[in-house]
This record gives sequence, C-alpha cells and structure tokens, in this order.
Amino acid sequence: MANDLVLDTAIRDWVLVPLSLVMVLIGVLRHFVSKALQSSPTPDPKAFKESQVVIRARYLRGAANYIPLKAFRMRRTYYNNEENGLLHVPKGQAQNMQAQMFSDPNMAMDMMKKNLSMIVPQTLTFAWVNFFFSGFVTAKIPFPLTQRFRAMLQNGIDLSSVDVSYVSSRSWYFLNLFGLRGLFSLILGEENATDDTQRLMQTQMAMQMGGLGADPAKALGAEKDGLDLIQHDWVLPKIEQKAEVVLRQFLDH
Amino acid sequence: MAPSSKSKGAAVKEMEKSDDINDVPSFSVENIQHNMKIVYYCRTFLSIVAGSIAGVLGLTALSGFLCYFVIMLLASLGLAAKTKFDVHSFFDSWHRVVFDGVSQEFMSFVLFWSFAYDIVHIF
Repeated sequence: MANDLVLDTAIRDWVLVPLSLVMVLIGVLRHFVSKALQSSPTPDPKAFKESQVVIRARYLRGAANYIPLKAFRMRRTYYNNEENGLLHVPKGQAQNMQAQMFSDPNMAMDMMKKNLSMIVPQTLTFAWVNFFFSGFVTAKIPFPLTQRFRAMLQNGIDLSSVDVSYVSSRSWYFLNLFGLRGLFSLILGEENATDDTQRLMQTQMAMQMGGLGADPAKALGAEKDGLDLIQHDWVLPKIEQKAEVVLRQFLDH
Repeated sequence: MAPSSKSKGAAVKEMEKSDDINDVPSFSVENIQHNMKIVYYCRTFLSIVAGSIAGVLGLTALSGFLCYFVIMLLASLGLAAKTKFDVHSFFDSWHRVVFDGVSQEFMSFVLFWSFAYDIVHIF
C-alpha cells in the first residue's frame, strides 16, 4: 500500500529548511559578489564609434518603411557606398581587427569570472549536500512518478520498496536549484546574476561586441548586407491626405 | 530592485503602445517589454503563493497541478481585466497575457508545493 512514512521532525529542521536557506543566501551572495567584481572596461574609442555606427544602421533598417524612398536611399548610400561609406571596410583593415581581437585579454577575463562565479558555488553546494545529507529520505514530493525516476531521485536510498515520491537530498537540491530562480527574480530585481548562464553570455557578447574588437569587421559587413537587402515598402503613402484631414478638423473647430 | 510599486495589489501601471498608423500596426517596443515584465512579475509571485496553497491544503498529484493552472488562469483574467479587456492595445497578442511565463514558473510552484506539503503533512 502507499504507506505513509513517518519522517523525523529533525529532518525537516535540519535538512529541508537549512538547505533552502543556504541556497537562497548563496544566490544573494553570488549576486552581490558578481556586482562587486564587475570590472568597468575602458572602451576603445575607435571600436566604440564603430559599434555606434552599427546601431545607427540598425535603426535605419528598422524604421526604413517610415521614410520616403528617396530619403531611405540617400541614407543607405551614406552607409554603404564604396569610397567613404561608414560601413564599408576595405580588405586590408579587416585582417588587422582580427589580430586585435585575439590579443585582447579583457573579454577572456570577464567570461572566466562570470563562469567561475556561476559554477563554483553550485559545485561546492552540491558536494556539501552529498557529503552531509546522503543516505536518508529527505522529503516527499506530492505527485507520483514512475519507477524509472527512482534511480535519479533516490540515489542514496538503497531500499527498492520505498515509494518513488520519497526523495533524497540530492533531488531536493536540484528542485531548489530550479525553483529558486523565480524567487531570486523577485527579491533581487531584474538582471540578477543567478539567471541562466547561457542567456547572460549571449547578452554579454552582444553588448561588448563593439567595445572589444570581437569581429567588428564582420559586424559592419553584416549590417551593410542587411541594409542592401532591404526592400523599401512605404507604409505612409496617404500621409499627406490624412494630415490635411486632421488639420482641417482643427481649423474648423 | 524589484518593481515593488507595481505589485498586483497596488496600481499596476501598464502603458499604451502607440498604434497610430491605420494600415500597419506599430508597436512601441519599450512599452511592450514593460508590460511583459509586469506580467512576469505577477506570475512569479502567484506561482509561489499557489505552491504554498497547494501544499498547505494537502493536494496531491492531479489536483495540485489543477490548482496551479486555475491560479494561473485567474491571473490571466485579472490582467485582462486590468487592461479593461482591451488586450490588443497593451500587448501584441493575447497569447502573451494568457500563456507567457506559465511554464517558466512551474518549477517554482513545484518547489514551494513540495516544501509546504512536507512541512505541514509529513513532519
């Protein structure tokens, strides 16, 4: 029968609550440590200018349909033409930038710091949990799972007749790991350091793309191609008539 | 800090997206993002509350999941009511209001459900 195991109250006092508390505190600590360790990179002015040009070109791409065709073409030539277009990079310079990127240690340091601040606390906490809290039933999860989950959830417990709902501390650790993300976003505000590592990396790369010489030539080339590809489709063809109607309404009142 | 002034109890400030062209709907991206943040914040909070409720009530298995979805649905209704049921002038599609964030907050719900259930019923 689905026997209800009676678990010692001491488990609740000394395992469940401390584990969750420790994870919350470590998360908060990690957030503040990563904020304190954030190095403000001094951006290279040339690379920064290029990244701003890329951003301007991107705005043009986004809003291309709201300006008349001639105006759009004029702007596009300004960016793309062969002699002095802002996005045009002659072949010789492209190679230089590649070399520059590899010799720049800042990016590597930042990524390593971010990585470390994510991985190390998780590993340490996991090792701590394994060392102290293994070999007994920790909690009961309120929904039934199939037998295949037994190996995953009950790895410290060697009885095979115990319900799969009774899990060991390792699974409580993982449950906390995934479930506390929501709590962190509440108490630490947005953009906290405990979010997904991948997402953080992506946004970091995107933001520092211009300031660090990580393929600026490619970025410029990509924007140039993007601009070339746009089909202009003016969405405001009757705007003068509409403006006339609105103005007449104002004048008539 | 968390947008505490925009909690679901106080006035939830949602902003219009500009919709000034009759032919092509144009969106003000910042406003949409701001509204999405509010939705997300509400759902996070509610999933924790829902977990605690389900745990304290001793719901197991299916009824617990049902509780989660019911509370999420109530949240969607509340958000829709806040926009005076004119969802299209605040979000770009009604999917956002109803479905977004439900699966992300699921793990938080399960955590707090297990926690509350264990503390109240097992120990």
